[in-house]
Amino acid sequence: MLVLAHAGHWLAQLAYLAPLLLLLGMLAHGRWRARRESRDDEADE
Amino acid sequence: MTRRTALAVVAFAAAFLLVPSTAVAHGLVGKQDLPIPRWLFAWAAAIVLVVSFVALALLWPSPRWQRTPERPLVRLPRLVDPLCGALGVAIFVLAVYAGLAGNPSANENLLPTLVFVIFWVGLPILSFLFGDVFRALNPWRAIGRLSGWLVARVGRAAPPEPLPYPRRLGYWPAAIGIVAFVWVELIYSGRTDPSKLALLALAYAVVQLVGMSIYGVDAWSRRADAFGVYFGLFARLSPLRWTRRALHGRRPFSAAAEFEVLPGAAALICFAIGTTSFDGFSLHALWTLIAHSLQDAFRGLGLTPGTALQWAFTIGLLGVVGLVYGFYRLGIEGVRTIAPDRSAGELAGAFAHTLIPIALAYVIAHYFGLLAYQGQAIAYLASDPLGDGTDLFGTANAAIDYTWISATAVWYVQVATLVTGHAIALALAHDRALALYGATQAAVRSQYWMLAIMVGFTCLALWLLSEQG
Repeated sequence: MLVLAHAGHWLAQLAYLAPLLLLLGMLAHGRWRARRESRDDEADE
Repeated sequence: MTRRTALAVVAFAAAFLLVPSTAVAHGLVGKQDLPIPRWLFAWAAAIVLVVSFVALALLWPSPRWQRTPERPLVRLPRLVDPLCGALGVAIFVLAVYAGLAGNPSANENLLPTLVFVIFWVGLPILSFLFGDVFRALNPWRAIGRLSGWLVARVGRAAPPEPLPYPRRLGYWPAAIGIVAFVWVELIYSGRTDPSKLALLALAYAVVQLVGMSIYGVDAWSRRADAFGVYFGLFARLSPLRWTRRALHGRRPFSAAAEFEVLPGAAALICFAIGTTSFDGFSLHALWTLIAHSLQDAFRGLGLTPGTALQWAFTIGLLGVVGLVYGFYRLGIEGVRTIAPDRSAGELAGAFAHTLIPIALAYVIAHYFGLLAYQGQAIAYLASDPLGDGTDLFGTANAAIDYTWISATAVWYVQVATLVTGHAIALALAHDRALALYGATQAAVRSQYWMLAIMVGFTCLALWLLSEQG
C-alpha cells in the first residue's frame, strides 16, 4: 500500500530513466532489424 | 539507426513534452519555482543531445579537434613560475597551520572550507577558465623542484636520474587518490576536525614528495598526483595554457583530445564522475533506505553504529563509482559491436577524454550551490584563518548572502551546465570516431552507443539533483 500511495513519487523518479530506455530500445531494435535483414539476404542467395 | 528513426525519436520525445505536468510532480517542484516537473528537464536535455547528435552527423564530416594549434599570447618573466610555487607553498603552510593550531570548529577554521569548497570545487572551474592554475601553485611540485634545484647546486656530483614512471601504473594512483579524497570528504568521521585534515594533508604531501623523488617531479605530478591529474583534466578544456615562460591561447575543449591514454585513463574520469554522483545520491531517499539496511547488517557483525554507517557509505561510494565505470564500459562494448576489430580496452582509452566535460559539468552542477553560498565564507575565514578573533583584512565579520541567487536560478545553471557539458562530450566523441573510423557513416554508427552513454549520464545527473533544493 505504501508503494501505491507514493506511486506519483516513484513514477516521477522512473521518468528520469525513460529517455535512456527509449534510446536503448531503439538501438536494440535497430540491431535486431539489421540482423534479420542480413539473414534474409543470406536466405535469398 | 536510420535518419527516419532518429527523427521519430525526436518527435516522440517532443510529443511527451507537450503532456501537461500532473500531480505526480508535486513532491519535486515545491523547493524551486519551476514551471514544469523536473523530470521533464531530463527529457528536454535528452532531446537536445539527440538533436546535437544529428547535427554533428550532418555538419561535421571530418576530424577537427585531434590537434590543438596554439599561439603565444604573453611572454612571462622568469620569476613568475617560482613566485607562483612560493605562493602555493605559503597557502599550504597557512592552511595546515590553521588546521593544527586554529579553532577546532569546522565553520570557524579556514582549512575545511579551503579544502572542500575552494580547492575541490573552485579549482576545477578556475582550471577550465584560466588553464592549469594548480600546476603553477602546486605546493609539493614547487618543493620538489626546489629540492632538485638545491641538490643540483649544492651537491658535488650530479643528482641521480629519476626512475622511469612505470607505464602499467598509469593513472591508477591518481584515480585511487580521487576516491580516497572523496571518502574523506563524505564519509570519514574526522572530516570536520581541522587538525585531522591538516595531518592528512601533510601525509599526502609526504607521499607526493617521495613519489617525485623516485620518478621525477613532472612524471609524478602529471600521472600520479591525484589533484595534479584531476585539475589538469579540466585545464584541457581551457582556452589558455601556461608554460614557464609564456601564456598560450588555443581553441577551447579540443586539447582534451590530446589527453595521454595510459592504463586507468577511463577509470580515472569515471571515478571523478562516480564520486560526484555518490555525493548527490547520498542525499536521496533511496540511499537512506539502502544505507540503513547496510548499517544494520554491519551492526549485526558487532560494529558500532558510527563505524557501521561509515562502512555502509564506503560500500555505497565504491558501488556508485563501479556502476558509473561499468556503464561506460557497457557503452564501449556497444561501440565495439560496430567495429569489432578494436579491443574494448583500446576503445575505452580512445574515448576516455570525451568524459572530461561531463566530469566538469557534474562538478559545476552538483556543487554550484555550495560554491555560490559556502564559497563566500572564504571572505571572513581568510581574514581570521585560525578562528581566534583576528581580523587581517577587515572582513572577519562578513556574512554569507543567501539571497544573491535564487534556488530556481541555481537549478537553471545546473541544467544548462549539464546539457552543454554533454553536448561538448558528444562533439569530442564524434570527432574521435571520425579520426578512428575514417568513413562518416561508420563513425556515426559507432556513436549511437556513445549517445546512449551521454543521455544516461545526463538523466542520472538530473535525477541526482532532483532531491536537492
